Amino acid sequence: MAEQAIVQIKNLSKTIGNKKIIKNLSLDLHKGEITGFLGPNGAGKTTTIRMMVGLMRPTEGEVWIDGQSVQGDFEGSIRKVGVIVENPEMYKYMSGYKNLLHFSRMHKGVSKERINEVVKQVGMQNRINEKVGSYSLGMRQRLGLAQALLHDPKFLILDEPTNGLDPAGIREFRVYLQKIARENGVAIFVSSHLLSEIELLCDRIAIIQNGELIDIKNVNELQQSRYYIQAEPLELAGEVLAGAGFPAVLHDKGYLIDSGAEHIPGAINLLVGAGARIFAVQPYRETLESQFLEMTGGGEIAQAHTE
Amino acid sequence: MLKLIQNEWMKLWSRKVTWIMIVLMVFLVFAVLGITKWMNSTGNEEINESWQDITQTELASISLLLDEPNLSETQIDYYEGKIAIAEHRLENDIAPLEYGSMQQQVLDTHMMMSLVTLLTAIVAAGIVASEFSQGTIKMLLTRPVKRWKILTSKYITVLLFAVLLSVFLLISTAFAGLLFFGIGEGQLLVWNGTEVAEASFWLEALKLATLKFSSIWMISTFAFMLGTVFRSSSLAIGLSIFLMFTGVQAVLLLRNYEIVKYYLFTHTDLTQFYTGNFLVPGITMSMSLLVLAVYFLVFMAISYWTFGKRDVTA
Repeated sequence: MAEQAIVQIKNLSKTIGNKKIIKNLSLDLHKGEITGFLGPNGAGKTTTIRMMVGLMRPTEGEVWIDGQSVQGDFEGSIRKVGVIVENPEMYKYMSGYKNLLHFSRMHKGVSKERINEVVKQVGMQNRINEKVGSYSLGMRQRLGLAQALLHDPKFLILDEPTNGLDPAGIREFRVYLQKIARENGVAIFVSSHLLSEIELLCDRIAIIQNGELIDIKNVNELQQSRYYIQAEPLELAGEVLAGAGFPAVLHDKGYLIDSGAEHIPGAINLLVGAGARIFAVQPYRETLESQFLEMTGGGEIAQAHTE
Repeated sequence: MLKLIQNEWMKLWSRKVTWIMIVLMVFLVFAVLGITKWMNSTGNEEINESWQDITQTELASISLLLDEPNLSETQIDYYEGKIAIAEHRLENDIAPLEYGSMQQQVLDTHMMMSLVTLLTAIVAAGIVASEFSQGTIKMLLTRPVKRWKILTSKYITVLLFAVLLSVFLLISTAFAGLLFFGIGEGQLLVWNGTEVAEASFWLEALKLATLKFSSIWMISTFAFMLGTVFRSSSLAIGLSIFLMFTGVQAVLLLRNYEIVKYYLFTHTDLTQFYTGNFLVPGITMSMSLLVLAVYFLVFMAISYWTFGKRDVTA
């Protein structure tokens, strides 16, 4: 997919007290790719993200961003990163514009024009001079995104970015993120609880549980073609499908077969020819949610975690 | 660094509390001077003694003091200076500043400076702690700026605020003095160690304010440290103001023990070397400066260490 990894997480571990919260986590993120970060509550998503941006110090391991280590050269690496950690907390007693001005002064070479440009990009130009205290959650999210984009980062880390946005806002947000990933080659790392949202937004999904990375999947892998066929008698249908070379898996009242659309009419003919009665043939798409719940064991909250 | 300080300054003045502090301080200065004026006009009857008589009495009482045993070098120097000034006045017929004059009020400004200490301590305690309580700390620390630089910019902002407040205090005292008392007669004299010289009351007031600044500096550094360590501004404000009031009292309790010489509040007020009100006999300016420097370094080391190492989970 992408040739070089812009972010490399190498054997990251974090121990607090005598509890290992993150266990030897390694992950590469690529240019122009949006990676989702999923896991049940308390799995270690926020801790991982905090270590990636230098808010927490890893017990072991390192995070490399575009050739520089966050732990070694903090300023050199973080200048390429835009961050929203959980809710974007702003200075409520200042206007949105002053907040952006404040953060822009902490980066090199962010001009007033750039601030105005970003304000326009996130659609805040009408309210930017009002105090942040008067903003709705959705507006704060937009302002949060604006501050993360000010310095044109190569890598964007977003923790729960769509929290509080209305459906139109979420859609706009998604389109915008996909655009900057594609056009500017920004690598994006998004953690979220909204599985459907992650599925629509991301190219790749990393799943964490109990501090361990348990799976990394490409989203189009999830979308491989599967069909659900319900026919009776069940045994007969199973034999026919197996005989025709479809590995049939029992599901609900029928079978699931991995197959492209082009083979389905043939399979139906075979079944009809063998005397089976067909009740349903439909494309089957397993949702990310069901896969996620399957992998993380019902999504129960990981035991005792210090946060 | 300049931009970081600019940021802190902007945040400081964007809060209403800061403006309220300034207004309150100016208001208090006018109130105190107004009350002083009112007390003078109702309480005292006309003072019939001439300044010469008063100076004579003063001279006599200081001479008595000088006869006491166990006086420290610093105290002897101080009293001898007083005598030289008094004698000079009588010989050359130079009247002292009138008590009820703008000049004398400006000279006494340093006594009102605990107000500045109080307000600066509040700002110092909150400047780091509030970032944690608002959750903005994570936005602040995920910038390409090392933590020690951010902390330094905050610390410098606190000191700038203290200087600004002191200047405000001096200016508002001058205005209030002018309003309530007007410019009085008399000439300020100082003893520079070898001879008596005329001095400008502005310069003297500034000198005293600078000496008093050591106390503001130490208390706000202490409050700054507490705010950084505990991340709670209310705890830091409470504790440092409590210490500010009780710390000096404790000197009196400890004064018979050796340990008092290493105790912070014995040394915070450097004006004692100038006004002669020694908390503990036998201390010298250089000793005080040394003790203050050690405390300062310890406070700073603790602040920087905790701020630099802390895992931010706010």
